[in-house]
Amino acid sequence: MEKNYIIAGFGGQGVLFAGKIIANAFMVAGKNVTWYPCYGAEMRGGTVNCEIVVSDDEVSSVHKQGVDCVIALNQLSFDRFISKVNKGGTIICNSSLIEEAKPRADINYIFAPMTDKAIEFGNHKLANMVSLGVLSETEKELNLAILEKAVDMVLPEERKHLLKSNVQAIELGTSKQSSLV
Amino acid sequence: MTEKQLLKGNYAIAEAAVKAGCECYFGYPITPQTEIGEYLSERMYELGRGYVCAESELAAINMVIGATSTGARAMTSSSSCAVALMQEGLSYACSDELPVVLVNVMRAGPGLGYIYPAQGDYFQAVYGGGNGDYKLTVLAPSTVQECIDLTYRAFHLAHKYRNPTMVLADGLLGQMMEPAEFGEYPYPEIDNSSWALTGAKGRPNRKIYSCARDEDIHNEHIKHLFRKYELIAKEETDWEEFNTEDADVILVAFGSMTRNIKAAMKTLRNQGIKAGAFRPITLSPFPSQRLSELAEKCKQFIVVEMNMGQMVQDVKLAINGKAEVDLINRPVGQWLSVEEITDGVNNILNKIPAKVGV
Amino acid sequence: MQVFKIPDSIIEGSKYTFCPGCDHGIAVRLVAELLDELGIRENTILAASIGCSVFLYDFLNVDSIEAPHGRAMAEATGVKRARPDKFVFTYQGDGDFASIGLAESTHAAIRAENLSGICINNTTYGMTGGQLGPTTIIGQKTTTSPMGRFKETYGYPIRIAEHIALCEGTAFSARVALDSVAHINQAKKALRKAFQVQLDGLGYGFVEILSTCPTNWKMTPDQAHERVRTEMIPVFPLGTFKDVTEVSE
Repeated sequence: MEKNYIIAGFGGQGVLFAGKIIANAFMVAGKNVTWYPCYGAEMRGGTVNCEIVVSDDEVSSVHKQGVDCVIALNQLSFDRFISKVNKGGTIICNSSLIEEAKPRADINYIFAPMTDKAIEFGNHKLANMVSLGVLSETEKELNLAILEKAVDMVLPEERKHLLKSNVQAIELGTSKQSSLV
Repeated sequence: MTEKQLLKGNYAIAEAAVKAGCECYFGYPITPQTEIGEYLSERMYELGRGYVCAESELAAINMVIGATSTGARAMTSSSSCAVALMQEGLSYACSDELPVVLVNVMRAGPGLGYIYPAQGDYFQAVYGGGNGDYKLTVLAPSTVQECIDLTYRAFHLAHKYRNPTMVLADGLLGQMMEPAEFGEYPYPEIDNSSWALTGAKGRPNRKIYSCARDEDIHNEHIKHLFRKYELIAKEETDWEEFNTEDADVILVAFGSMTRNIKAAMKTLRNQGIKAGAFRPITLSPFPSQRLSELAEKCKQFIVVEMNMGQMVQDVKLAINGKAEVDLINRPVGQWLSVEEITDGVNNILNKIPAKVGV
Repeated sequence: MQVFKIPDSIIEGSKYTFCPGCDHGIAVRLVAELLDELGIRENTILAASIGCSVFLYDFLNVDSIEAPHGRAMAEATGVKRARPDKFVFTYQGDGDFASIGLAESTHAAIRAENLSGICINNTTYGMTGGQLGPTTIIGQKTTTSPMGRFKETYGYPIRIAEHIALCEGTAFSARVALDSVAHINQAKKALRKAFQVQLDGLGYGFVEILSTCPTNWKMTPDQAHERVRTEMIPVFPLGTFKDVTEVSE
C-alpha cells in the first residue's frame, strides 16, 4: 500500500520543514518513506512544495503524477494542486488564506483556519504546524506522540527550544483542542 | 551513527565521503548538488581536512588530480554541464592513473539545460567527453542508502585500481530524503606507497604524466590501461535483477529510475505479464555478459531512461540481436511514472507504435 | 674559489631539450641551485606545465605531476592542501600561466596559497612555433600576427608580475631577466624569496622571468638578449612589485 502527500505554500510558511516532519513521523511509525522537494530556481517564484511518499513496501517512484493528499497553505497552492488530487483523495486547506470552494465533486475537502489559529496562539509562522495537527486527524499512523518525536528529529540543536511551541501548535489542529475540523 | 535517519541524497554522499576518509574536497557550486560542497565546507574544516571553493570546475578537477597524486583521498562533485568542463582533467587522470573520485548529480542538458533531474549524462560518464582511449569506473545509485554505499565503493575502487571513479546520481536522488544509515566504511586501506608523490627522498624522482614521446611506450601504456579495465570488468561488474528467471519481458533502467521499473514490474505481473527487471549498478564496466545470458531465454527487453536513448545502445550491443530491445523514455524532468511505463510496455507488447520520448 | 658544478637537483646525465641559446636552461639551473641551497629537493613536488617547460621532470630531480595546459596552479593547490608540509612549485610559460591559466594563477594568489610560481615570459608560444601570446608586445611579429601586434585587433600584452602583485594573498611578486650576470644574480635572489615566503607560510610567491626565444624570434642568442634589453624591459620593467617581508620589517 503506497500513499503520497504534497504540502505546498509560499516561501516562509515552513512547507519543507513541515514536510520533513511528516516524512519522519511516518518513518517512526514504521513505514518506508521518501521526501522530495521542488528545488532551486523553482522555489523563487514564491510557492514551495514537497512530496512525501509512504509505503509498506519499498517506495516506488518518489514523484508521482497524482496526489492522494494535498495540504495547501495558500490559495496559489490550492489552485495549482486541486487538479492533481487523485479521485477519492483529500485536500486539506488553510481556510485563513484559501476561499472555501469545492470545484471538484470526486475528492474530499477539509478547511481549517490554520493561520488564524496560529495568530491566536501568538505566531503566524506556526500555521504549518497547525496543518500537521489537522493531518493527524485523517491519518491513523500519525498521533501527537509520533509527531512530537518527528519534530524533535527535524529541529536542529540550536532550535530545540522551539519544540514545545511547535507541538502545542500541532495540537491546535487536532480535534482534541479545537473544533477546527 | 549507524541508526537509520532521514537523509537527503546530497548530504548522504557528502558524509559518506567524510567517513570514507576523504582528505580533500574541491568544488564549485551548481544546482542540484550544491549541498555537498556546503555540507563539506563546515565538516572538513571541523576535521582539519582540506577544502577549497575552487574558481571553476576546471580548477576543481585539477585540484583533485594534484591531491590524489600524493596518494590522498580526494573528490569533487558537480552536475552535468559543469562535469562537461572536467572532461579534460578526467582524460588526464585516467592516463595518469590517479584515484580521482567525482560525483555527478545530473541535471537536464544539453547546454545549460535546467536544474530538474535527467539522465542525459550516461554517454558523458561511460564513453567520456575527454580525448583518447580511457574509461572511468561509473557507479549509479538508486536510493539514498546507495548514495552512501556507492560513495564508499567509489573511493575503494578508485584507489584499488588507480582509476577515476564516478558516482552518477541525479537531481532527484540528490534532493530527495529517505531513511538510510552510514555504518562504517567497509573497505580495507590501500597501500599507495609504490607510486604516490612524497618527495624524491632516498629513491629516484617519480613523474606522473600522460605524455609519451615514444610510440612503443605510448602503445604499451594504453594497452596496460585496457588490461586494467578488463580486470575491473572481471572483478567489479555489478548489477541487480528481479524476477528474471521466468520473465517474458525484462525492464532495464539505471539510477533512481530503477525504483520505477521495479514498481512497474509488479503492476505488470498483476496484469498477467511475466515481467522482470534488470539494473546495472556499474555502468562502466557494463554487465553486458549477464544481459547476453538473459537474452538466451527472454526475447523482449525494454530500456526505461530519462534521456533520448543512451543506455539502450549498450543493452543492444550486449544482446547483439538475440532479443528485441525497445525504449521507453522522456528527455528530462518528471520521472516516467509507473503508469507511463506499464502503458508503454503494453503498447510495445501489442506492437502499438511508440511516440518519441513518450 | 668558486667551483662551477651541476646542481644535485639536476638529474645526473640529463640533457636539456631546450633550443640552443634559450634562457630556460639558465632558469632551470637557478631553480635547481636553490633547491640544493635551501635543502628542500627531497621534500619538493613540482606541478609541471605544458609548453617548452613540459619536460622539466626530465631534468629536475624532484617528484612531479603533469598539469593540463594552464592548470598547474590548481594542481599545485591540490598537492599543497593534501600535503601542506611539502614544498610545491610550478614552472610555466607565459601562455600557460597568464593566458589559458590566468584564472588558476590569479586565484591561487587570491587564496594566498602557500605556493611558489615561476613564469617564463618570452612574448610568444614557443613550443608551437612562435604564435601571439598574452605577453606579445605591440608591434611584434608572430606567426599569428604577421603584420605585428596592433592594438585594434590584438589588444595589449599583460604585465603579469604587476597583476599578481595586486592580489592580496601574494607575499612576493617580482620581474627579473637573464640577459646579464647582474640580472641573473638578481633573478636568483628573487626566486629565493619566492621560495622562502612559501617555506615561511607567508603566502604566494611569484617570479616572472623575461626570457629569450632565439628560435622563434629568429635571432642569435646575443641578438635575443639585446632584444630583452631594448624591447622587453621597457614594456615589462624589472623590479619587485610586492614583498610582504619588506613591509613587516
